[in-house]
Amino acid sequence: MATGASTEIDRRSKQRTCLEVHTAFIRGVGANRIYAGQMAVLGRSSVGPIIQQMWNQEKDHLKKFSELMVAYRVRPTVLLPFWNVAGFVLGAGSALLGKKGAMACTVAVEESISEHYNNQIRTLVEEDPEIYKELLQVIKQFRDDEREHHDIGIEHDAEATPAYSVLKTAIQLGCKAAIFLSERI
Amino acid sequence: MAAAGGLRRGRLWRGARVRCQHCPPLRALQASTVLRRVSDEHKKEPFTSSSQQHFDSPPAGHQPEQEPQGPRPSYTGQGGQESEDYESEEQLQHRILTAALEFVPEHGWTAEAIAEGAKTLGLSVAAAGMFHSDGSELILHFVSECNAKLSKQLEKEQKLVQLGEAEKKPIDEFLRDAVEARLRMLIPYIEKWPQALSILLLPRNIPSGLTLLTSMIDDIWHYAGDQSTDFNWYTRRAVLTGIYNTTELVMMQDSSPDFEDTWRFLENRVADAMTMSNTASQVQSTGEAVVQGLMGAAVTIKNLAGLNQRR
Repeated sequence: MATGASTEIDRRSKQRTCLEVHTAFIRGVGANRIYAGQMAVLGRSSVGPIIQQMWNQEKDHLKKFSELMVAYRVRPTVLLPFWNVAGFVLGAGSALLGKKGAMACTVAVEESISEHYNNQIRTLVEEDPEIYKELLQVIKQFRDDEREHHDIGIEHDAEATPAYSVLKTAIQLGCKAAIFLSERI
Repeated sequence: MAAAGGLRRGRLWRGARVRCQHCPPLRALQASTVLRRVSDEHKKEPFTSSSQQHFDSPPAGHQPEQEPQGPRPSYTGQGGQESEDYESEEQLQHRILTAALEFVPEHGWTAEAIAEGAKTLGLSVAAAGMFHSDGSELILHFVSECNAKLSKQLEKEQKLVQLGEAEKKPIDEFLRDAVEARLRMLIPYIEKWPQALSILLLPRNIPSGLTLLTSMIDDIWHYAGDQSTDFNWYTRRAVLTGIYNTTELVMMQDSSPDFEDTWRFLENRVADAMTMSNTASQVQSTGEAVVQGLMGAAVTIKNLAGLNQRR
């Protein structure tokens, strides 16, 4: 009977891990494509190197989560090709508004991403910090990176973008919808 | 791992029963209590009959042909005593279905085969009433057993490769061998397999059949070392599912010795898939080169027109 209970816990924690890894992976893909879109437009401008640097970190995150996806045998979402295009369009579109627009987009996205990481940390710690120790460590480190990106965006006058709050709210709603859909399909 | 598999299977059975309106859980419950009573009776029986055998029958009674009958009831007698408190309905069903497989070549995927299987376990033939009459549970049980066997086999191979005792197979060879190994498990039942396929294709059975198929394909790709996390994940699985299903159909019509034609067909299909993926990557790189060329041309035009000012 005891083994039955423990396998039940195993199964649930495995499910939880798969879900969290998957959402983290989707966020990684989205952020990557947004930076790719921004680089396509602003690559040669003065903020190019900064964006490139954030993109490289984002690439590392994605690589780590891809490895975890394979390790936990998670099925990637069907909407992946769609997010590839949507992320790129969002990045390129915001960059077309100018450097400030691009930074506003970065701030909005990074803010919702780090908020998401925080939520993940909260749920995982609540359930059992021991089981998810490894995952928590990865997530914590990445969350700090995302906060840094967020601060870089603020430093570069993101808040001076015209209609900043509208833009930010719209992007954050989009991010939430994207993750909501991807978790289910 | 095995326990988790059992759990999952248990859920599958329960799900199958909920979906089937002809046999509500109540009936299954009654059936199992009846069965338990019957197995109790049987438990007493073997002792009396075996003791009678000792007194009545001459030494010729210990002929080898009678031996297979002897151990079986006593096995259930001991097992029954031990597991009566612990054995869940699912475990019992699992045991009956495993025993029933032996009778499939003779009776097909039917309630008769299940009844015969129950008989060898010393249970009443009424045990067949626990299952749906079309034999779908027997087929699903067989499929999931085969899948488990295959993934165990692939895991063993992977361990050998990791230890360096075996060489890692190229991907086409690995896929071919895995599919062949899985299809070879059908050989003992090949005469009755078309019947099984038609039952699996009934709308009621499609969800569970599909789940088993996709998990089998996923296992093969996992052990093949698939690292894809993009849309390739889907194309790869779709391609392999196609190969498996068509080869299965070819196999059922194959009359060549040891299904040689089937394996040749399989090899060709895997080779086709490999060519396809090579072509796809070539097309992709050509496309990227073309896009780069166009971008270059656009930059040149911008430069010529004097539009390329740094922002």
